Amino acid sequence: MSTIIEFKNVDKIYNSGNHILKAMDNVNFKINKGEFVIILGPSGAGKSTLLNLLGGLDTLTSGEIIVNGNHVEKFSDNQLTGYRAKNVGFIFQFYNLIPNLTALENIELMKDIADVNINGLDVLDSVGLKDHANQFPAQLSGGEQQRVSIARAVAKQPTMLLCDEPTGALDSKTGVLILKLLQDMSNNKETTVIIVTHNAILAEAADKVIRIKNGQIESISVNDNPKKVTELEW
Amino acid sequence: MAFLGVFVFAGVGGESEGLEANSNDYYSSTNLADGWIYSANLDRGFLDEVYTLGPTTEMERQLVVDSVANFSNDPEITLHFVENNTISKFYLIKGEPLNISDSDGVWLDKSFADAKNIKVGDNITFEFNGFKIEKEIKGIGYSPEYVYHASKSSVIPDFSKLGFAYMSYKAFPSEIVPYNVLNVKFDGTAETFSSLLSEKMDGKYNSFVERSEHTSVSQFSEEMDQHQMMAGIFPVVFILIAMLILLTTMTRIITHQRTQIGILKACGFRDISIMFHYVSYGFWLVLAGSILGLIIGPLTLPKLFYPSMSATYILPSWKPAWSMDFFYVALAMIMMSILVSYYAVKSIFNEKPADTIKPKAPKVSSSGMIEKLGLWNRLSFNTRWNYRDTKRNKFRALMTIIGVIGCTALLVSAFGMYDGMNDLKEWEFNQINHYDSKLVIDEEASISEIDNVAKEVNGDKIMENSIEIESDSAKKSGSLLVLNHTDLVTPTDYDWNKIKIEDDEISISQKMADMLDVGVGDTVKWHIMGSDKWVKTKINKIHADPTSQGLIMSSDKLEELDLNYTPTGIVTTEHIDRNYSTIKTTNSMNDMTSSWDELTEAMWLLIYILIFFASLLAVVVLYNLGLLSFTEIEREIATLKVLGFKTGALRKLLLTQNLWFTTIGFLLGIPVGYYILKVMWESSGDSFYILPSISLTNIILTAAITFSLSIFVNLMFSRKIKKLDMVESLKSSE
Ligand SMILES: Nc1ncnc2c1ncn2[C@@H]1O[C@H](COP(=O)(O)OP(=O)(O)O)[C@@H](O)[C@H]1O
Ligand SMILES: [Mg+2]
Repeated sequence: MSTIIEFKNVDKIYNSGNHILKAMDNVNFKINKGEFVIILGPSGAGKSTLLNLLGGLDTLTSGEIIVNGNHVEKFSDNQLTGYRAKNVGFIFQFYNLIPNLTALENIELMKDIADVNINGLDVLDSVGLKDHANQFPAQLSGGEQQRVSIARAVAKQPTMLLCDEPTGALDSKTGVLILKLLQDMSNNKETTVIIVTHNAILAEAADKVIRIKNGQIESISVNDNPKKVTELEW
Repeated sequence: MAFLGVFVFAGVGGESEGLEANSNDYYSSTNLADGWIYSANLDRGFLDEVYTLGPTTEMERQLVVDSVANFSNDPEITLHFVENNTISKFYLIKGEPLNISDSDGVWLDKSFADAKNIKVGDNITFEFNGFKIEKEIKGIGYSPEYVYHASKSSVIPDFSKLGFAYMSYKAFPSEIVPYNVLNVKFDGTAETFSSLLSEKMDGKYNSFVERSEHTSVSQFSEEMDQHQMMAGIFPVVFILIAMLILLTTMTRIITHQRTQIGILKACGFRDISIMFHYVSYGFWLVLAGSILGLIIGPLTLPKLFYPSMSATYILPSWKPAWSMDFFYVALAMIMMSILVSYYAVKSIFNEKPADTIKPKAPKVSSSGMIEKLGLWNRLSFNTRWNYRDTKRNKFRALMTIIGVIGCTALLVSAFGMYDGMNDLKEWEFNQINHYDSKLVIDEEASISEIDNVAKEVNGDKIMENSIEIESDSAKKSGSLLVLNHTDLVTPTDYDWNKIKIEDDEISISQKMADMLDVGVGDTVKWHIMGSDKWVKTKINKIHADPTSQGLIMSSDKLEELDLNYTPTGIVTTEHIDRNYSTIKTTNSMNDMTSSWDELTEAMWLLIYILIFFASLLAVVVLYNLGLLSFTEIEREIATLKVLGFKTGALRKLLLTQNLWFTTIGFLLGIPVGYYILKVMWESSGDSFYILPSISLTNIILTAAITFSLSIFVNLMFSRKIKKLDMVESLKSSE
């Protein structure tokens, strides 16, 4: 399997005035194409920071981030925008749908930025929300919104899906549904899925588990036989 | 902003209040006459009769004659030989007070003295009616009868060509020439006095002029009316603008403090103390701004207008005055700031404390009519988003549109004024009048002498007089123009097409017709000022004239009405610099146009101020509301950025809405501007007639400014989008 993402000696230092904080401290890891990766760690460990660096939302202090052979840390602002548009699908804890657009419009929005020919309804169907196409985010439940958000992320057929605590605001039953959806994405479409969570149980379902603490990699483990999300004991 | 609003309001108001107060002070301190009775026989018996009319309180006789002073340009000096200097007193600036028993001294017009560089102690010689007198200048000063002093032939005074002088009746070189003017003061209205006079003393006097008909007084009060109108419209517009700006700014600031307020509340601060904090914050700022504006406005703005006015009008002092209105407006401003902050804070209080700490949740959008149409699906994401965002924030949309309407209306009226002033100049000096020089004929000149000069300069004779016209509904003073087949003065209609007034026709000017509410076929009654002979005539035509309102007819028609044809001027295409004994003054077209330019300087200033404020209004309102909106949608912008939208696309997102509002506001603002312009021209004084018109250039310029400001404001947000920290913006709700 080919390496698609690589972090090499990545440091991220937050320098807010007199207070200096090392949020990423010499982080190294590799992720293969189509892997289902779980990043675990306590609150404040640097999980979001890692995801943001990988997703091109933030810039690192030193080191290299290589995606598909490209050095993300060397990208200009414009290149970063293009990178986010084509390669990255972000899924947030609070969904971040555009409230002024219907579920369907939120998905079809992607046609404007990524050169993809998608049918919004089909994508919505794939997350089981065809019937809610013309509803606005505020008219949908949290789980439904998160599914729209996933549909939006996959609509542009990104290289990777970056999910920052996607189930954090959902009840566990709905959460499992979401996670199953994400796992299926990585299995069927060969999309690399990276999920940040502090729920250790999920580790059993991952191809690879990266544990971090205080901005450092604590351990990286590979599961040869990951369980299905639905088989886990919640 | 409160400062600017009150500043302009009180400033422009203070200017016109100042004019009024200064002239009132001047008139009362010099005891300006309430009326003037012209008669050749003002003996004791006459005075007794006037006194027994009842209302009369004071009387003073004067002998007023026109003279020529011994200077190369033959300046025309009106001499007042006064009985005792108690009514319409000479206002001394330099020298000794007017001494009624001094027969050697003369008290001279300061403007003339300044123009000729004459000083107290100099001697001056006047020639009139075959007399020649030389007097020593004992004093220099002003007269309340000469606030405005221009010759009959030109509207704009040239102080080196005309003036006035006061001296004792004892200084008159002959014993037998009697007084010819009686200055009177009376109680009650001029109307009562005038009718009493004509009833009881008919035939014993030539004419009676009441104060409001006196050229100087009426011209100046007309000017004051214009200023009052200016003070009536524009400051109100500015106050509304200031309020709009204040309103949006305070809403923006307090909404920004939303989370802060929520936290304060959660920390257990009582509502009342939080409220007090925010309300007093705005209150003190607005209070300070208003007070400053109240003081500085009247102290500075009038200084900009008075210099160009003092080129035309002579007042001993040019000081601003304050009026209670200013305080009321400032008070309204302060009250409004309290109300706005009260409601803004209150609306935040009404939310649950837990919600206030989070950013405002977007309201549920619902599908409306437009979405159901098939077309909707073909609209771009940008359009859809903006359409719904507008629907969600109707108040903001409305305020923005009002702001743009204000900006457009101000610009349209400012450029419209500019066009109007230029049109007027072109119309008056190029379309109607085609002569190069206008020679003003001396009243003493005989017909044959006039004809000789006219022949010599290849000129045409014209007659211009002040008249009073009456219809069933109104009575107005205006002018009479008698033409004799000349092509140097060609009346036009309001489209500047020349119209021919036949020998047996009488034409009335459009504005006069409007004021009197008459039309072609109606009959008006009129008389020449200074004569009591009223005639009734039918109106045959209507012409339009930008600066003089009244009647035009031929000399034949005049004589047919049994009135004397006495030419007052000769117009010619030649440039005349020779002097003729029968000619009092010569005015060249150049002189007239340059005086006109001088007269309109104040207008330019007003136009610049308007443009400045219009721009300020647009920028501040668009920025405030834009920022308000930006704060609300920051999270959406961040999301879109994360999804990979380019800065340009996001800027376009914000620009689209801006442009929609700007377009709507612009389209609505044009008629509003037209209306302001119309009101403005209509109230610009009885003698001016300007049609409000909006040229294509005006629209293009207005559009250019309005839209560039809109785009300029948008660019400010473009930087904000670029700098927007995605991580931070999205974190804010966790
Ligand atoms: N913009 C920032 N400025 C300063 N410190 C930050 C910033 N963002 C995150 N941090 C700090 O970096 C550390 C890692 O944060 P984060 O990656 O959000 O943790 P988590 O693992 O909970 O997602 C935390 O200590 C956090 O306080
Ligand atoms: Mg986090």
